This record gives sequence, C-alpha cells and structure tokens, in this order.
Amino acid sequence: MRYPKECVLKECQEVVIRPLARDDEPLLLQFFNEIPEADRWYMRYDVTDIGVIKKWFEHIDSDTVDSIIALSGDRIVGHGSLHVRGFGSTRHVGRFRIVIHPEFRLQRLGTWLTLDLIQLAMDKGLEILRTDLVAGIEDVAIDAVRKLDFVKRAEIRDYARDPEGNHHDLVVMIKRLHRGWGDF
Amino acid sequence: MNVCNLPSREIPWPNANGQLRIRCGCHPEEIRGYTFDAQFGSYAHFRSLYTKRETLETIAGHDGANVVLALTDNNHIIGFGVLDFPEPNERWARLGAKRMMEVKAIEVCRDFRAARVASGILEMLLRHPQLEKMIVYMVGYSWTWDLDGTGKTPQAYRNILLRLFARHGFVEMQTNEPNICLKSENLFMARVGKEVPDDIIQKFKWLRFGVRP
Repeated sequence: MRYPKECVLKECQEVVIRPLARDDEPLLLQFFNEIPEADRWYMRYDVTDIGVIKKWFEHIDSDTVDSIIALSGDRIVGHGSLHVRGFGSTRHVGRFRIVIHPEFRLQRLGTWLTLDLIQLAMDKGLEILRTDLVAGIEDVAIDAVRKLDFVKRAEIRDYARDPEGNHHDLVVMIKRLHRGWGDF
Repeated sequence: MNVCNLPSREIPWPNANGQLRIRCGCHPEEIRGYTFDAQFGSYAHFRSLYTKRETLETIAGHDGANVVLALTDNNHIIGFGVLDFPEPNERWARLGAKRMMEVKAIEVCRDFRAARVASGILEMLLRHPQLEKMIVYMVGYSWTWDLDGTGKTPQAYRNILLRLFARHGFVEMQTNEPNICLKSENLFMARVGKEVPDDIIQKFKWLRFGVRP
C-alpha cells in the first residue's frame, strides 16, 4: 500500500488517506467527539472515552487492527479499521468498520475508505471481509458496500435497539476476496 | 514529436540465454524485418496483448508513439512495450491534446521472464523527448495478466507491477474510472513530468475522480 493517497470527493473537496499514526490521538478524539451521539450509539465502543482511545493507540502496532484515517487539511474526517483475529478458524476473515464526519457524508468518502481497506485485506491474504450494519440506520453504507460486491449473508432480526428502544435488524455483509479466477 | 531521433536508441541487456538488446522508437519498416515470438499467443487463461507483429507495426506508425522491442541476437522479438496517446473517447484524452500518454503494453514472452526485461523496456519507453511535459499513466487490468504463466495471485502480480513502475517514478493513484474500479486488484499509476504546469496537475486530479469544480 502506498500512502498518503489523494482523493477528490463529489463536491471537489480533497482528502488524504493514510494510516493512523501515534501522534494522531488528539485529532482522533476530536473527530469522534464531533460524531453525533445518535451515530455513536451503534459503535462497539464509547469512542469519546479517552481511556478507550488511549488503549487503541497502545495497540497501534498490533497485527490484529489496522486503522486508516481521511484528513481534510489537518482535520480527521473519516476513520476506518480492519480487524483480524490472527489465529484459529476465522483467521482468514477480516471485519471492518468505517465512520465518516457528518460534513463529509454522501461524498463517497466511505467508499474510498472501504476500497482502501479491501486492498489492505488483500495484501494481508484475507479471504473474507465482513461488516455488520444496522438496517434502517446505516442503509447508505449497506447500499455502498453492495456496490463493491458485498452480499447480505445474514440478517439477525431485531438484534439492535435504537436510543428510543425500537428494534432494528443487523445485516451481515460479506465480500469474498478471490485469489484467482474460475476456469469457466 | 519524433521518438526515432533519440540519441541512444538501443541498450544491451545481458541475459542467461545470451545477449539481448532493447530498442526504442522502432519504426514500422524496422519491425517488419524482425520475427515475432510464437509465445505471444493465446493460452487457457491468458492472451497476449498483441499476437501479431503487424499490430506493433501499425502502432509504430502513430505520431509520437514509442514502440520498444526486446530482441535476441538474431532479431527475434521476445518482448515489447508501447507508449501511445489515449484514444479520443477515453477519459484521459479530456486533459487536452498530447497532455497524457499511456503505457499501453509491456510484455515479455514466458521463456525470458526472469531477466528483468520488463524493467529495461519501461526504461526505454520513458526515453521520450516530451516526457517531462506530460503525464504518463498505466492501467493494470487484472484480466490481462498472465497469472498461470507466472504462478502469481492477482494481488501478488499487482504488487510486482507496483514495484516495477514505482522504480521509474510512477505513483499509485486513486480514480473512479469505472473499468479500473471493476476489480479491487486493478491498478492505476501515473508519472507527472517535472514541467507539467500546476493547473494541468489540478485538472488531472479532477479528471481522475470525474468531477468538475
């Protein structure tokens, strides 16, 4: 992978994609603090908790998580992470998550970050990429990954709950990263 | 723009199978005098970009095109490279006349693949008098790669191309060009000449992403 990568978004805004670096901690905290609470609700961790972020940076060189960020000037406007187990029955599987700053949504930034994580997964020799998304909440992301050849592999009914207590389905989107072609 | 008037049109390329030479700016009549290796053909999962010598002759006749050949002692073509302008209907032609050139092909026949001939061909392709005034690009479509012949996965092949072109000043760049985006392993790289004006570099950036300010 060659970084930094330059991207131009739909409205001609320019962003640069690169791996998260050790001294990005304050920028990342600021980024997550600007993500609306309603969106943070669906994340795996409380990313406004400085302890959580510190722990991430302690493991920044680990082989199990790769984080990339999108920068507009010196401000983080997108974050993507690829998680692998590194052992056992799912060592060939990567799971990823992408968060986009509200001002940069619907500009294809999520697609560029996803494409970068797909490349990263291929470089790591992974065979399956997975992302779990909440139906009715993250439909734009579901549509975007579908356009990148992800397919809905499972749907867990009423798995997630929104802040008002309404239930939503969790959609498991999978992409197979083929190493070669068929003989057809 | 005549690439046939370059000061040094040929370099020797030592090889385990004997001395090779790599010639740039080859013109049609010259190519007609060479033989074309039969390995540039069709296989179960791969077809050479050009399977006939006549195709190279035709391209060599294009104004400004640079056809590079890797030749054995007995004037036998075992590798070729083509640098030419994009087709008028291609996205890259929109940057303006003669602003961009494409490395349309680099291919070495299977028996000579371990001799780094491709690197020599690329070096000679870039001996173009207008190189620094232009943006030279390459598009790597994974379906054109000889994966069987090399025994590589698409990703491994991609990484070989990345390293090969990076050594000659090319940088991987993002684009939303639909054909390139069809497969994740496809690749787009470009080399921006030192004399390319800033406004053209900016336009190239917009062109890559299909946006207009």
